[in-house]
Amino acid sequence: MSIVIVLGIPLLLALGSLFVRKERLFGVINCLGYFIVLCASIVLFNQTVFAGHIRAFFDFIYLDLLSAVFIVVIAVVAFASALYSIAYIKKDIQQKIISPGKERFYYLLFNLFCFSMFCVPAMNNLGMLWVAIEMTTLISAFLVGFYNSKESVEAAWKYIIICSVGIIFALLGTILFSYAFSISGLSKSLNWSDMLPVAQVLNKNILKIAFIFILVGYGTKAGLAPMHTWLPDAHSQAVAPISALLSGVLLKTAIYAILRFGIIIIKSGEFAYFSHLMILFGVISLVISSGFILVQKDLKRLLAYSSIEHVGIISIGFGLGSPLAIGGAILHVFNHAVTKSLMFFGAGNIVSAYKKHNMNSIRGVIKVLPFTGIRVLLGVFALTGFPQFSIFISEIMIILAAFTNGSYLIAALLLLFLAVIFGAFIYHFGKMLFGNHPKDAVTQGEPFSGKLAFLFLLFLICGLGVVLIFKYKDLLWLAQRLLQG
Amino acid sequence: MQGIILFVLLVSTYLMVIAKRTSALIRSFRYQSLCLFVITFSIALTQREPELYIVAGLLFILKVLLIPYLLYRIIRRIKVSEDLGLFINPQLSLLWALAFTYLSWIFASYIVSANNTILTGTLAIAFFVVSAGMFLMVFRMTALSQIIGLLVMENGLFLLASTVSGGMPFFVEIAIFFDVFVSVLIMGFFVYRINKLFTHIDVNKLSRLKG
Repeated sequence: MSIVIVLGIPLLLALGSLFVRKERLFGVINCLGYFIVLCASIVLFNQTVFAGHIRAFFDFIYLDLLSAVFIVVIAVVAFASALYSIAYIKKDIQQKIISPGKERFYYLLFNLFCFSMFCVPAMNNLGMLWVAIEMTTLISAFLVGFYNSKESVEAAWKYIIICSVGIIFALLGTILFSYAFSISGLSKSLNWSDMLPVAQVLNKNILKIAFIFILVGYGTKAGLAPMHTWLPDAHSQAVAPISALLSGVLLKTAIYAILRFGIIIIKSGEFAYFSHLMILFGVISLVISSGFILVQKDLKRLLAYSSIEHVGIISIGFGLGSPLAIGGAILHVFNHAVTKSLMFFGAGNIVSAYKKHNMNSIRGVIKVLPFTGIRVLLGVFALTGFPQFSIFISEIMIILAAFTNGSYLIAALLLLFLAVIFGAFIYHFGKMLFGNHPKDAVTQGEPFSGKLAFLFLLFLICGLGVVLIFKYKDLLWLAQRLLQG
Repeated sequence: MQGIILFVLLVSTYLMVIAKRTSALIRSFRYQSLCLFVITFSIALTQREPELYIVAGLLFILKVLLIPYLLYRIIRRIKVSEDLGLFINPQLSLLWALAFTYLSWIFASYIVSANNTILTGTLAIAFFVVSAGMFLMVFRMTALSQIIGLLVMENGLFLLASTVSGGMPFFVEIAIFFDVFVSVLIMGFFVYRINKLFTHIDVNKLSRLKG
């Protein structure tokens, strides 16, 4: 029942955005809708914890713990983003960057985008999973090119082309999975729940080749280096609330798709293969992103490269594969989603106050935007893994797991690059937040709904860091069940 | 019979690789899709599955009629040079294509374990069509040729799916058709926008975003 709410409300809101004439009112309705979705997703999570898995609509929808976690993450970021959109879009209209008519177009796309993302974890059929992920690309391309400037159209074109090619490879991988399934003499099906029980008898060579295509294909969408080239462009050009959605959850839906296939590979007895590939791509992402973060000049691109880094860490976590590492990785999915959303909201406010992306010409944010400035300062520490923010906990779990697995090299690399990125972030943001603010800038007040979005996310970031110290046993118990199907 | 159609399909793909003008590319794409339609239709005739007739019909309407029509329309409307901006000249491209064909054959025979020449051949052609699409996307630098490259890759996958696993489940097939059609519409929309903002559609010159 709650899955119907989760999938239905975004669709209803999309329809509503076409008919509701009062744009101001609709922003609030939108926000309330996503609050209900958030509640429903938490109910759904509870159900899967106790019931194992839920099937609905003739096996069309299949939900287990893994899907429920991702649905909760999407719902949290979508709610925060809906909250922030009210203020952000209003400001854009006041500054005559977009016309009031375009606001309805924005809400239509926003809701369709959220709907397609909610579809990804709910699908049982691997072909439909592919279709849902391709739909997220097609819809969000409009949101990347929303401002219709030369830069944003270029970013949208690169995004749509690179992701479509990537995802074609994922479809190739999916077809090979179904080939492996059909030559083992089983009836034709692409349902994940049909494939999993017979994973052991499938042809291992074909599965291995197929998984490479899956990893390259969905990895493109997830932003794993070296297929990440679309990501900084798209994230820096999109509307700020959408940047948060792209970075916080769109990348995670692709990770989810990789995991779905990964579970089949693990069940067929090829854990080492899965593990090596995930760790390899994770480490490459970490190395490449840290280099770009060091020399970055553009605020939003900096955050985009940081997303590549965190996707790399998540990938390493799942690759390590012990319950501690998986717990850390799934926690990191959540933590990165909330922290990065906070940072993109902050960046959105900063960019619209200074009218620039270039970090060298942004100075004294704390004085010009006191509220945003302080939240961004906290966000920087949270994002770089400063103790007692939630990202610290998930990163320390992954590093501990690497040590206990005996993968000292990976642990050392993780620590080294995290330190480098920490330094780079403090350097960039220190100059931006403090320093002498431009003479013509005046201290600006900020709208209530925008503040609320910040406080909601900050509450999750700080709260989780404290709660987890007492609840880590539950987390490990969940992590053990997570990749069981 | 199926051998002849597969051969025609292969030739149409070669024609695409050596094409110099966008309209020639679209024409060959239409031939290729027509071959796919004939293959699907003949499978439908032998297996007598009503669902396959629908898939074949959709394939004909979308890929043989509607999508080429849309692409021709874009060419007429944007009025830019039809030149594809070749990075690699046709002769060299043909050599590449031959190399890809051979590699696809090796890859296909690695995957098919039994001594089944027809299956291996079809598989090899399917892989080749995918790689030819990739080739078009990388070495032909207009926005339109990238769209066509993507469609060619998708055609290759359709051939692959219908030979190795007897096609995708019916509703997945329909969803993918819908998806391909929507993506062509959206990409076409962006081609108009690129042309309006930049007054060209040379993707290689889109380089404002760096670092």
